[in-house]
Amino acid sequence: MSESKKTFVITRFDPDKDEVPKTQEYEIPVHEDWKVLDAINFIKDEVDPTISHRWSCRMAVCGSCGMMVNGEPKLTCKTRLSDYGDRVIVEPLANFPVIRDLVSELDGFMEKFQAVKPWVIRAKEEAGAVSASNPPKSSKGTFVQSAAELAEFKQFSLCINCMLCYAACPVVANEPEFLGPAAIALGHRYNLDSRDQGLDERNEVFRGEGTVFSCSFANECSEVCPKNVDPAAAVNQAKFGAVIDWATSLVLPRPGASKEGGK
Amino acid sequence: MAGPAHPKAMTPSKPGRTRTAPPQMPASWWSHPRIRTYLLFDATGLVYLLLGLVALRVIWALGAGPEVWDATLASLSSPLYVAFHVIGLVSVIFVGVRFFSFFPKSQPPRIGPAKPPPQPVILAGLYVAWIGVTVLFGLILAGRIF
Amino acid sequence: MVEVSRHDIIIVGGGAAGLRAAIAAAEADPSASIALVSKVYPMRSHTVSAEGGAAGVAREDDNFEMHGQDTVKGSDFLGDQDVIQYFVEQAPKELALLENWGCPWSRNDDGSVATRAFGGMTVKRTWYAADKVGFHMLHTLFQHSMQFENIVRYDEYFVSKLLVEDGACRGVAALDIRTGDMHAIVGRAVILATGGAGKIFPFTTNGMIKTGDGMALAYRAGVPLKDMEFVQYHPTGLPGTGILITEATRGEGGHLKNSEGERFLVEYDYGVGQKAELGPRDMISRASILEMEAGRGIQGSYGEYVHLDLTHLGEEKIMSRLPMVRELCKIYAGMDPVHQPIPVRPVVHYMMGGVDTDIDGATTLPGLYAAGEVACVSLNGANRLGSNSLTECLVFGARAGLHSLEFAKGSAAGSDDGLRAQAEEEAARVDALRGRKKGGEKIAAIRHEMTSAMESGCGVFRRQESMGAAVEALVQLKGRVSDLRLEDDSKVFNTEVIAALELHNMLDVAEVVAVSAHHRKESRGAHTCRDFERRDDQNYLYHTLCYHDPSGPRLDKKDVTLGRWEPVERKY
Repeated sequence: MSESKKTFVITRFDPDKDEVPKTQEYEIPVHEDWKVLDAINFIKDEVDPTISHRWSCRMAVCGSCGMMVNGEPKLTCKTRLSDYGDRVIVEPLANFPVIRDLVSELDGFMEKFQAVKPWVIRAKEEAGAVSASNPPKSSKGTFVQSAAELAEFKQFSLCINCMLCYAACPVVANEPEFLGPAAIALGHRYNLDSRDQGLDERNEVFRGEGTVFSCSFANECSEVCPKNVDPAAAVNQAKFGAVIDWATSLVLPRPGASKEGGK
Repeated sequence: MAGPAHPKAMTPSKPGRTRTAPPQMPASWWSHPRIRTYLLFDATGLVYLLLGLVALRVIWALGAGPEVWDATLASLSSPLYVAFHVIGLVSVIFVGVRFFSFFPKSQPPRIGPAKPPPQPVILAGLYVAWIGVTVLFGLILAGRIF
Repeated sequence: MVEVSRHDIIIVGGGAAGLRAAIAAAEADPSASIALVSKVYPMRSHTVSAEGGAAGVAREDDNFEMHGQDTVKGSDFLGDQDVIQYFVEQAPKELALLENWGCPWSRNDDGSVATRAFGGMTVKRTWYAADKVGFHMLHTLFQHSMQFENIVRYDEYFVSKLLVEDGACRGVAALDIRTGDMHAIVGRAVILATGGAGKIFPFTTNGMIKTGDGMALAYRAGVPLKDMEFVQYHPTGLPGTGILITEATRGEGGHLKNSEGERFLVEYDYGVGQKAELGPRDMISRASILEMEAGRGIQGSYGEYVHLDLTHLGEEKIMSRLPMVRELCKIYAGMDPVHQPIPVRPVVHYMMGGVDTDIDGATTLPGLYAAGEVACVSLNGANRLGSNSLTECLVFGARAGLHSLEFAKGSAAGSDDGLRAQAEEEAARVDALRGRKKGGEKIAAIRHEMTSAMESGCGVFRRQESMGAAVEALVQLKGRVSDLRLEDDSKVFNTEVIAALELHNMLDVAEVVAVSAHHRKESRGAHTCRDFERRDDQNYLYHTLCYHDPSGPRLDKKDVTLGRWEPVERKY
């Protein structure tokens, strides 16, 4: 294995000691097949144990290690070091408050995430005739869902909550109320699921302030998504759904919980 | 980083238990080619605003008598206006192409019981419609129909 | 002063077992307050990395009897058969429940849930969502849990001590990682759901967070750890990183090949018979190592490996059933399994052992429960079958949730003052550790020596001598760890002090593994001792218990619950 040296410029911030974030440089030997995360872990273990960062699975599925690498949001465990030159700038995710060093504040995201009601919502009266809005269940207690119905939402269920899309989105940077790409994609994922009946409830959320219509379709979220979820598609499909929903409500004032719409 | 984001960006409703550094915009927001394209896209709004004002002026000229109308037409053929209209045309094509590239994926997999056609078909449809409308207008302007 | 917050049930760990327990309790009693305490945000829990599937009888040609028999045989007859019976009966119900909560299980043509073949299972009974099953299960559970207002999350709190009063577990001392302050989270029952301890080994599929915290907490509180010698090596990890390549690759028809291009499980007798690649993990891991020892391995920059060949499956099948495998291979091995065989070698994957519990998840300490990989309810015995563990998290997570709720109802709350005093003592311990610049030992160095000792002593093949050497090395490391040097004196998000606490936990667990392994003078399931190559039911058909004692780990025995499946020679 050939080794070379690279310099890492890492953001340091300790609220008890620093007024504002500063940077610190580390020159270390790197292996050619390292990811950016391997280099940060090397610095933490061997050079400076005072650096704080989050990581766990190192296989691009837990979503912990999102950071800015040379100004772009990256999942550092899958970002090849060999794609970068001798100086690599590592910063905490953009558009998030910073707790310390490379650790950003997640609770704002968690609130938005919860706001879209990311769980299967079923109408109160479960019994009654089987219909499109009340699909049949098998004798084993599972829903019948075709492969085609699964394919309709599958892509939007692949989000690992790494929040790179929030770091890339120009609307997130300027509009604190904006629900943002991952949260809207998640709500949309449940709206598209044939087992779910929560469309109306979620459209209430989507019609509110700072939601789907705040999106200006910069498409940055989809550009940086490490899992090809394409949140921009979800947000704009949700826009479409919300418009249809609004238009139908003009024609048919809904009595309680009418169904269909964008499903 | 390239400057502060909104100070409340991604901030939880209940303040955190420790002091945080304020959110920053990504460094790439200005320098990255992708972002430049997006900013250019946003900037075309200005071109449309100006085009709209020109159109208003032309409509106003219609009602202001033949001399004004002729003078307006004459001024529109000045090189400056021609250049402006070329910019307008490029903007329209740029926005159209960008919009077309995003439109197919923004269609939900189902609208009521109906399924939209596959994405390549939607994209092809948009281009066919665009070319069709352009040809139609060309024919009208050339006096071949109506 | 240490802040005290009060709940009814405190769950430590936010993976599949912890979330399932929380949901079960929250549903059963909406007035009960449930604290979910985790050192990471729940969606980061290591359940997320599970790939292949979750087992539960689903097809017409399958039944509980068959699932039970496969599990007992897989366990090398060390599984408790009452537990296994309960498990196989509950499995389909739990998986159906998850389906109702939105888990995107892959489907058959008729819209029913699809199942795939897995190692050691005679019928296709492994439910799957492509090859991201753990990911989908975890996210489904976490998202579903968000609708319960009585589940209160403590994200990024590191539990460093169990609070015990009047002989019962009544809470936890938890370090708020963000502020660096200790909290006392007190209640009437505590459930441990912190997962395994793969990080005591250098080469593991496990993520950084799997440091055996819950095992160490229970152990130090006087609860025995059971069957800790049984460490599962998964046959197919990527060399270097140890990233898991799912068993579903073989379930879907992949072949293991040696340097000669032979399917060695077919060409040579490794005891897996007709099952070949669908044999149990312990046997296939041994076979892979023996192939390398016979000179039929392939040399790479990260040591020897064998090939996992999927090229005959075709791109379409790989993309629909195993998309993540392809993604992982491209990113972490620089190759495409559609066109090339994948380099793989056995890698530490799972701890069969854990905190000794009964079928309800209850431990010997009243009020303390455990479920999931941290626990040893004795479903898996000496070798777990692939895809039983995700289901185990659901079945026994739910049961622990309900039984802890019952216990909590009949149990008095502890005293705030007494529990606070304990937490304050713990706070002082952590404060003394933080920024301890007078020490001489580096965390990374001790960790490295520990993992090396475990690899050479407690690998796929073990020897009495090497296990003895590991025990000695660990005793010595446990002495040195009291003199750690920590550089970071900051209170906010100090990950160095967390790493130090985790290192203490890992050393405790590693010592128990080595001591338990050293004592078992037979070969059973995943414990293969070259000095005693046969299983010895006469002398070793029992569970190993290991108690914490100031003078060192103390061993004891516990009977295996046998039943209708009599121990016979394990041959496939």
